[in-house]
Amino acid sequence: MIKMKSHNFIEKTIASAASLVKESVFSEGTASKKGLMQGLDARFKVFSVLAFIICALFIKHTIVLLALYALCILLTLLSRVNLLFFLKRTLPFIPLFSVLIAIPAMFSFFTPGQAVWSMKAGGVSIAITRQGLHGAVLFIARVTASISFVILLSLTTHHFELLKCLRMFGVAQVFVMITGMCYRYIYLFAEIIENTFMAIKSRAGGVIRSSHGHKIVAWNMAMLWNRAYNLNEDVYNAMLSRGFSGEPVSIHRFRAKTADFLWIVFCCVVVVLFFALDAMLSGRCII
Amino acid sequence: MSENIFEIKNAEYVYTGGVSALAGISLEIKKGERVAFMGANGSGKSTLLSLLDGLIFPSKGTVNAFGRELSETALSDADFAKSFRSKTGFVFQNPEVQLFCPTVREDIAFGPLCMGLAVEETEKFTQGIANELGITELLDRPPHRLSIGEKKKVAIATALVMDPEVIIMDEPTAGLDPLTTRHIIDLLIKAGQAGKTVITATHDIHTVEETADIIYILGRDKKITASGTPQKILNNASILMENNLIHMHTHKHGESEQPHAHPHLHDHHSHGHPV
Repeated sequence: MIKMKSHNFIEKTIASAASLVKESVFSEGTASKKGLMQGLDARFKVFSVLAFIICALFIKHTIVLLALYALCILLTLLSRVNLLFFLKRTLPFIPLFSVLIAIPAMFSFFTPGQAVWSMKAGGVSIAITRQGLHGAVLFIARVTASISFVILLSLTTHHFELLKCLRMFGVAQVFVMITGMCYRYIYLFAEIIENTFMAIKSRAGGVIRSSHGHKIVAWNMAMLWNRAYNLNEDVYNAMLSRGFSGEPVSIHRFRAKTADFLWIVFCCVVVVLFFALDAMLSGRCII
Repeated sequence: MSENIFEIKNAEYVYTGGVSALAGISLEIKKGERVAFMGANGSGKSTLLSLLDGLIFPSKGTVNAFGRELSETALSDADFAKSFRSKTGFVFQNPEVQLFCPTVREDIAFGPLCMGLAVEETEKFTQGIANELGITELLDRPPHRLSIGEKKKVAIATALVMDPEVIIMDEPTAGLDPLTTRHIIDLLIKAGQAGKTVITATHDIHTVEETADIIYILGRDKKITASGTPQKILNNASILMENNLIHMHTHKHGESEQPHAHPHLHDHHSHGHPV
């Protein structure tokens, strides 16, 4: 039996990149489930997620942000999205977007205040301040809540519906159409990459030396480029054949239902309540 | 005398780089005729279909469709382009190139919308062809979630949604399972019975008898080397052999306890094979 190199960088990169593209771009499995968020009009979902993100940006208390995050988790469960899967999709992004900013902000250099921990190194005093710590926690909580809502939106909405929502922001139809086609063919190319890798593996016997692997990757990139170029011409011909004259067209129409309007009312009430709670905790009252 | 839909006169086509794909093709296709182009890989079948669909234009010679020459100038006339595109439906060999929209519904609707049909009417057409081909449950699926047979059916739906007079199909059954192949052959037979002009490019000598009234064999010299009824062409073993359409081989016959091996032409033999 051929022994596989478990740490083969090329193997991991090719296989993971292809599956990441397929899994992250297309959430067809979760978007097709019959859950709360899946049943809503995509435009209303985008609007509500934007409202929640704005809410997260302006809330000043971590406890309120945690309540907002709890709401996101509740919506995840009501949308029949596996919680573990959801957390796996969201948590890796949080350090990516927050740690580089949050860690320096804890120190007295950037956030002066009452020291909760300090040390001296080479005659320089380094301290983590209470205010800095609070700021960092608040920032991470904001990022967590915001990313979670965005991921929930992407998991519960078909990618083509999300693209159509771009029209709400005045993005040209031709751009939406071309982006949709790009998405469509990303999947095809991800499959080609996977199949090519399997073919290489079947011939190379499982072990690919690093130097040889680099050549294979470079060759595959060139081959994929060539295929994309040829496909581009064929797809254009297929469009011409069906009467395309340069004017973008689409049959997709959003249809708002009573439930969508109720959802928006619910979201507005929730956002107002969160702001009110935040204000109360700050010693002010807005209602 | 029947009306000619296509008239090709001494058409030649040379790809960029000087590679010749067609070297002097002349033929006429009448309204309601069922025509099949056969030949080895690289003999120019797909190029010829692209010429007939006005996707490329001959380097020399002419291709006329519906009484007008197919050229870039002619197809830049919006009225003629619209009329020509609504009368012809082209199914590409690779369905991936034909399914470029995010969902099957949008792919099918693309043609009618490009033809200027209203959304409501397009929806009716889309639903109609989906019902006819039995693909209603696929309408809201993205193309990458379809099997190859489903992709082919959807590609056919995209071409037939406007009920074109002429159906052009490049390798309609290549790589499909027997049941899907049968569905597509039945569809072509039905189209022929409905008076449509059906033009196919195929290697499949097992089904061509059912889908064509006339066969043109494209040779290695990129010219038509033979033409005639399916009976005439399929009984000419040497022509079929020369053009890689049949081959000599050995195989086991039936469930005989003493299997015998012998050479024969794959298509035309009578050894009591189950059909």
